[in-house]
Amino acid sequence: MAKRLMPKKQLEGVGLTLTGACVLLVALVVIALIFMVAQQGLSAFFVDGINFISFITGTSWVPSDGVYGALPLIVTSFGVMLLATLFTLPIALGSAIFVVEVQPGFGRRIFQPLVELLMGIPSVVYGLIGLTVVNAAMRAIFGEAAGTGAGILSGGIVLAVMILPTVTTLSIDGLAAVPNEYREGSYALGCTRWQTVWHVVLKSAMPSLMTAVILGMTRAFGEALAVQMVIGGVEKVMPAGLLSPAATLTTALTSGFSNATTGSVQYHALWALGLLLMAMSLIFILIIHLIGAKGAKNRG
Amino acid sequence: MASETTAKQVGNDLGVDLDAHVKRIGRQDRVATGILTVIVAFVLLLLASIVAFILVKGLGKALSPGFLTTSPLADENPGISSEIFDSFYMLIITLLISVPISLGAAIFLVEYAPDNWVTKAASTAIETLSSLPSIVVGMFGSLFFVVTLGWGISIIAGAMALTMFNIPILVRVIQQALQDVPRSQRDAALAMGLTRWEATRHVLLPAAMPAIVTGIVISAGRVFGEAAALIFTSGSAAVNINFASANLSSPRNPWTIFRPAETLAVHIWKLKMEPTPGNDEIVWGTAAVLIICVLLFNILARVLGKALAKKMTSE
Amino acid sequence: MSDSLSRRSFLSLAGGTAVALAGLGLVGCGGSSSSDSSSDSASSDSTAKSLSGTVNCSGATSFQPLVEAAAKKFEDENPDVTIAITGGGSGQGLSDVRDGKAQIGRSDVFAEEKLDASDAKALTDNTVCVVGMGPIVNSNVDVDDLTTDQLKGIFTGQITDWSEVGGTAGKIQVIERKAGSGTRATFEAAVLGGESAPADFAPVAEEDSSGTVVEKIQQTEGAISYLAFSYFDDTKFKALKVDGVEANADNVCNGTFKIWAYEHMYTKDADEVTQAFIDYMMSDEVQGSMVEEQGFIPAGDMKVKKDASGTITNA
Repeated sequence: MAKRLMPKKQLEGVGLTLTGACVLLVALVVIALIFMVAQQGLSAFFVDGINFISFITGTSWVPSDGVYGALPLIVTSFGVMLLATLFTLPIALGSAIFVVEVQPGFGRRIFQPLVELLMGIPSVVYGLIGLTVVNAAMRAIFGEAAGTGAGILSGGIVLAVMILPTVTTLSIDGLAAVPNEYREGSYALGCTRWQTVWHVVLKSAMPSLMTAVILGMTRAFGEALAVQMVIGGVEKVMPAGLLSPAATLTTALTSGFSNATTGSVQYHALWALGLLLMAMSLIFILIIHLIGAKGAKNRG
Repeated sequence: MASETTAKQVGNDLGVDLDAHVKRIGRQDRVATGILTVIVAFVLLLLASIVAFILVKGLGKALSPGFLTTSPLADENPGISSEIFDSFYMLIITLLISVPISLGAAIFLVEYAPDNWVTKAASTAIETLSSLPSIVVGMFGSLFFVVTLGWGISIIAGAMALTMFNIPILVRVIQQALQDVPRSQRDAALAMGLTRWEATRHVLLPAAMPAIVTGIVISAGRVFGEAAALIFTSGSAAVNINFASANLSSPRNPWTIFRPAETLAVHIWKLKMEPTPGNDEIVWGTAAVLIICVLLFNILARVLGKALAKKMTSE
Repeated sequence: MSDSLSRRSFLSLAGGTAVALAGLGLVGCGGSSSSDSSSDSASSDSTAKSLSGTVNCSGATSFQPLVEAAAKKFEDENPDVTIAITGGGSGQGLSDVRDGKAQIGRSDVFAEEKLDASDAKALTDNTVCVVGMGPIVNSNVDVDDLTTDQLKGIFTGQITDWSEVGGTAGKIQVIERKAGSGTRATFEAAVLGGESAPADFAPVAEEDSSGTVVEKIQQTEGAISYLAFSYFDDTKFKALKVDGVEANADNVCNGTFKIWAYEHMYTKDADEVTQAFIDYMMSDEVQGSMVEEQGFIPAGDMKVKKDASGTITNA
């Protein structure tokens, strides 16, 4: 009980210092991370003299030959991300509406925990399944045109399954946060459940639904190993279509690091890809903030 | 019935066929509900088939005698004993580091945080951390923890990388749990003259504990399956662990945190990449073990949360 | 922190306890050299009393299983020695040994190809074994033999249908390895003869691991790729003859099969323990049986040799 003897003010100071130090530590680590990634990545441009414009507009990525054009990787990264979002969105939104509006009992107690389980399945396992099932399915459906079955479409499908639980649970939270008065008002006007959902609930939950989607996209954009196993890894040309084998920023990183020696131009160029990835996730965060601010303004 | 007549009357008054309209929106409603049900059934089917697929392919190997207890380096019938040990050991170290920090940060943000740019910057930093691709965290870890701090490819470097993932998840969970404590409890504690620190320690934290514990265990499940960040930080090779070793500085001592390690998820990745004959079975066996662990984490989280909540309300 | 310190001091201690090695006489012994196994085990018995320390060995994953197996035996014989093996690829291995982060860097290419000439010169090259690589096709492809020119045509995109090389009509699906990988460099050097595929020729996949190559060659009609002998598996795919020569160890040794590369373990000013482990890798115990068990070819069996620029001469 020695602590009891400590003056209140001092005790409060201890608490503030202790918890404040934790926050500070986290902030410092984040700053260190941003700084180091930026330093390594930028040295590709400022030390090794790679032209930034040709870096992001070049259409061929062959680091072992000193060809650094990251456009195919950037396009593929966005491609798989958008595909995954496209596949996931109707399913996630539909399930969320079902859980919140149609069958809350079953939805909350059984369905949601099960979906959260999906979130816990490791990405390598998704990759493994993608490699055996999704790639094979692509070949079965599209035949010779699908090549080995590896390609942007396969990557999009695997990612869609991976981000499904994230988008679903966040959408559920978003819909559940809509005040019940809104629904009651709508029902009192004689609207059906579907009309209520479509015109009232979805509209007022829009900011949080958009946040859910963007967080899902962030995850899809940054996923590495699962995509790498199913996407085919062709970095040297622009992808020609959804069935083309391609490589994302992340997969170019995982495969590139094993062939690069530290400190080389190739090594710095890979860090520059990391820098691009980091910048993108910062932009996603920014968008979420803007949506949040707009949502707050709309609510008055 | 009464409302239908009213609708008809109103409709007639307005000169539109409200009956048809009501029918149409009724049908619309039923179709929408039908579609939603199909979607939910699809998701459940997807989940069931993923889990079933892995178990069917891997459970046989996972349950085969000795698989869980034999070293991966054994000459015959290699198992995954080191991977299981490394996975849990790395998880525990990660939690030992990340839980106190997250707890402190969350308490600060909920209880103390002055409404200024420091707080804003801090919460943005945490948010940034949560959105970073794991591969970028792995790259940073391989440069900062492995090289700059000189820890080498090691358990502690891996645990630090995992900590960086875990902190944003945990902070959010704990923050939520603390905020969900009824305002009256906080007010009562403060009114009694307790400092914020005391109120947090003796009133808020215990009240929020069930939710916090659930959150920690669920986050543990996520950490357990991470691979991308570990390949660069804790390595992708099983160590010839010597459980008899008493020498803490030897990398063969299982408890040394400065030795390389290979987790279950990384093991799957590595074996899939280097297709030595017989690997396929081990890969699926490992995947089955991993899935079962994740299932157990989820169940444990819910059971533990419920038990704690029950214990608290009964007290 | 203190752990890392103690490990450091432990290391230097190990370096300090320098004892003349009975096993040093084994340096450079190939598979066909004179030392018999009894003298080998005698030497390891005497080193067991004196050797202690840690050897970090990082780099190429292609022959990691061989090194892991050898390291385990070595550790069993020298209980105070740890061989910490990590992956990371040839580039990582070479830079680690250059920077002193690892005592041994594994590589499947010559250091000269990745490092500056001066850095490469400072390293000692230990070629522990040879790996043969051969073209492989999906089991349904009815071609058994290709000439080097035909292979060249296929991998540069000039030959696109199996009927052009005597098989049933069907698209040739070329699965490449990542540019920069040792396997691809070896294959291109031997088959394309220094030329590289035109920039607009896109294979259907560029895999960065043998594992995914195996998976895809097995599943894809009409697929062709190349793989190290150590991964050959008749049940999954078919290995082709090149110019009528079967892809096997004997043909690599006598120089008739041209696609092969050395597996290097680079060291830099090797200390006692490191040298002892390298010597062990070159000893009959490893070269005699283990190398072949893992699907590699003992360096000492080779009747031809290759230098860093790819020129082949008689040994």
